[in-house]
Amino acid sequence: MSTDKLNLSTFLLSSIHDMKNSLGVMASYLEDALAEGVGQGPVDTPARRRTAQALYEAQRVNNHLIQLLALYKIDQAFYPFDPQDQPLCDLAQEALARARPLAESEGIALDCDYPENLYGWLDYELVFGVVVQALHNALHYTKSRVRLTFEANNEIGATGIVIRVEDDGPGYPDFLLAQGNGAQQGINFNTGSTGLGLYFADVVARMHQAGGKIGRIHLANGGQLGGGRFSLELP
Amino acid sequence: MTIRSLPPPDLSKTSFLIVEDFEGMRAILRDILNRAGTGRIAEASSAVNAISMLERTRYDVILCDLHLGQGKNGQDILEEARHRGLLAPHAVWLMVSSEKAAEMVTGTVESRPDDYLIKPITETLLFTRLIRQIAKKQALAPIEAAMREHEYLKALRLAEIQLEDKRAQTPHIWDLKRLKAELAMHSGEHGMAKAIYEEALNLRELPWARLGLAKIHYNEGRLNDAHRELKAITDGNRAYLEAHDWLARTLDKLGDLEGAQAMLERALKTSPRAPLRQLHLGEVALKRGELTAAAMAFQSSIDLARKTPLKSMQPYLALSQTRLEQNDTNAALSTLSALSIDMHDTPAAKLLANAMQIPVRLKSGERNLAQNLAQDLAKLLCSEAQHLPTEAVFNLAPHLLELGDKATANALLGSLASNHHEHPEHLERAQAIYTAAGLESEGREVLQSAARIATDIMNRGVKLSREGNLDEAIELTREARAQMPNNARLLLNHAFLLIAWMEKNGRESSRVQEVRECIQIARKLKPEEKRAGELLARLELLGNDFEV
Repeated sequence: MSTDKLNLSTFLLSSIHDMKNSLGVMASYLEDALAEGVGQGPVDTPARRRTAQALYEAQRVNNHLIQLLALYKIDQAFYPFDPQDQPLCDLAQEALARARPLAESEGIALDCDYPENLYGWLDYELVFGVVVQALHNALHYTKSRVRLTFEANNEIGATGIVIRVEDDGPGYPDFLLAQGNGAQQGINFNTGSTGLGLYFADVVARMHQAGGKIGRIHLANGGQLGGGRFSLELP
Repeated sequence: MTIRSLPPPDLSKTSFLIVEDFEGMRAILRDILNRAGTGRIAEASSAVNAISMLERTRYDVILCDLHLGQGKNGQDILEEARHRGLLAPHAVWLMVSSEKAAEMVTGTVESRPDDYLIKPITETLLFTRLIRQIAKKQALAPIEAAMREHEYLKALRLAEIQLEDKRAQTPHIWDLKRLKAELAMHSGEHGMAKAIYEEALNLRELPWARLGLAKIHYNEGRLNDAHRELKAITDGNRAYLEAHDWLARTLDKLGDLEGAQAMLERALKTSPRAPLRQLHLGEVALKRGELTAAAMAFQSSIDLARKTPLKSMQPYLALSQTRLEQNDTNAALSTLSALSIDMHDTPAAKLLANAMQIPVRLKSGERNLAQNLAQDLAKLLCSEAQHLPTEAVFNLAPHLLELGDKATANALLGSLASNHHEHPEHLERAQAIYTAAGLESEGREVLQSAARIATDIMNRGVKLSREGNLDEAIELTREARAQMPNNARLLLNHAFLLIAWMEKNGRESSRVQEVRECIQIARKLKPEEKRAGELLARLELLGNDFEV
């Protein structure tokens, strides 16, 4: 019955909201706990490692819930898509602030490179979500370094910007490379990956269109740090 | 480069107001601000508290949660504060929300906050946005101050100067252009606004620019063009609420009531707490004879607007009329008594709350009561006739005729005709009332003579001013204004004459005041009238306060 359906989706939505807010609070407590330990005694204790792991998990699930909500709104045609000229230095600072506590607690070098005064035409919240997710992901798989770069797209005939997140970890497995580059989509139960993050990034990229060009994502291995390299190109 | 946490900005001289119902969140915001050595932090846990604090103090920055539980939300507080002038020109309003909502991508310069912060609020997020918005607000403060003084031309020039300043390479160039377009619309410079909107659309698909273009089409009477642009915005996405409202207005004008209703319902599904949208839905539903839907919408409009600056007599009168059509005379009476209580500070409301009982009493068979009411109110109705809303007059007049009170009906319909002498639809409706009462020729006489008086005065005024008799012309239109206070053409003519007089004899503050009043009322009556903006611009040029 349609009323039952309505109730269920309403409950699902409000529950996702509730879980997201709750996880947000948990994550910030875990960040505080980790920050208290920085610079005091040995960095690598089992308790700290577990706290960092808990933070990673809380943020991962939190990101997914935020993405689910956005995807639902996009699917139902009421996401307030609102691209504007956005200062990328602010986007970088704000995204790094979300990744820094985890990076510091795990002793990972987090650096970043962008030209002064570079602006990107984008829906801030959606792209922010993609970048934070990519950073968290890179922090989990890297050995020691993660780098975020923003640059104007210099390819011939291209306009817009490229956002990259690179690490020095083992790189993406083959199936993800294929999935991330559009070969296949969907849930892979063998690997435990729901593909949500990539799917979300892909949807967000495609929503950004200008001058007949459509945004896209690209996954590669190698790059400057030798590990995985996630790119988001926006026209 | 390796990025460390940003050093907190110097906020020692900045005053803050935090509006947030959740103590935990207030504490987080307070802690972040304290770390930056913020001098003064005030807190409000509810909309009511927030308003009373804003009444007493001009804060530099307001951090306000969008959702505050029951009652008014953050958007309501912002609109009330702007409406009542409770914010300093440089004040920065940051709206805090747990997700991106439809309210965030619509609205005009009056209803937009300076920025939205999506939770979780980190120190970096708060500080990067604060630094950017404080800088922007300081740059825009002179423009804002000019707008508050109704000096739109000056504001427009200030915006142009900032846009021309290539050295500065202003980071908020599109904010300025959007503001410039809105100012140009205010001053009747549709061409300038159109150029900006088209420039923007050439670069990107921008809903605000397309909406601006649609408004110009609508105001200049090209309803089909407006319809096309608005559909292009709303088709893909129901989050662009303002475009839905304009599309509904356009469809209504094009005669597609069903389409208008569907559009309003779609927008209300996304954002139901909008009293004006509910009012429009009620009006459309009432026209379609969907009484239940109309009554619901009017009631929502009343509930949402009560205790806000948006409250008006309209939804009460419309609801009592709807209740009457539903044969529910008790509900109609209680709506009227709500009108006189909720709007006790508006004199016409009390009069109408009483007068509109006449049709109700007639319907419930209490003819004597109706007769007594009509007798008691006749004098007041005649003297206040020019100030009554047209819809109320249309509803009341047939019943006065039915009771045999031709004199009062003539006074009401006659003054309606003189206030709207250029509005054939109104004149036809008034004539139909007489015809239905078997008074066709007498009605024609009343209406024609009222309309003729208005036309005569306009013509005589124009003639006198052409002959250079400005003083006499002004005397004439000023007197006529007392008789026809809601005649948009007359108001603008009067304003025009006063301005012409001052252009010759110098600025006079009492006349400036009179012009402002006339233009303000004319604008309410005929929002699409471009001449109002043009006259405001000319008025501004009179002042010697143009040093920028």
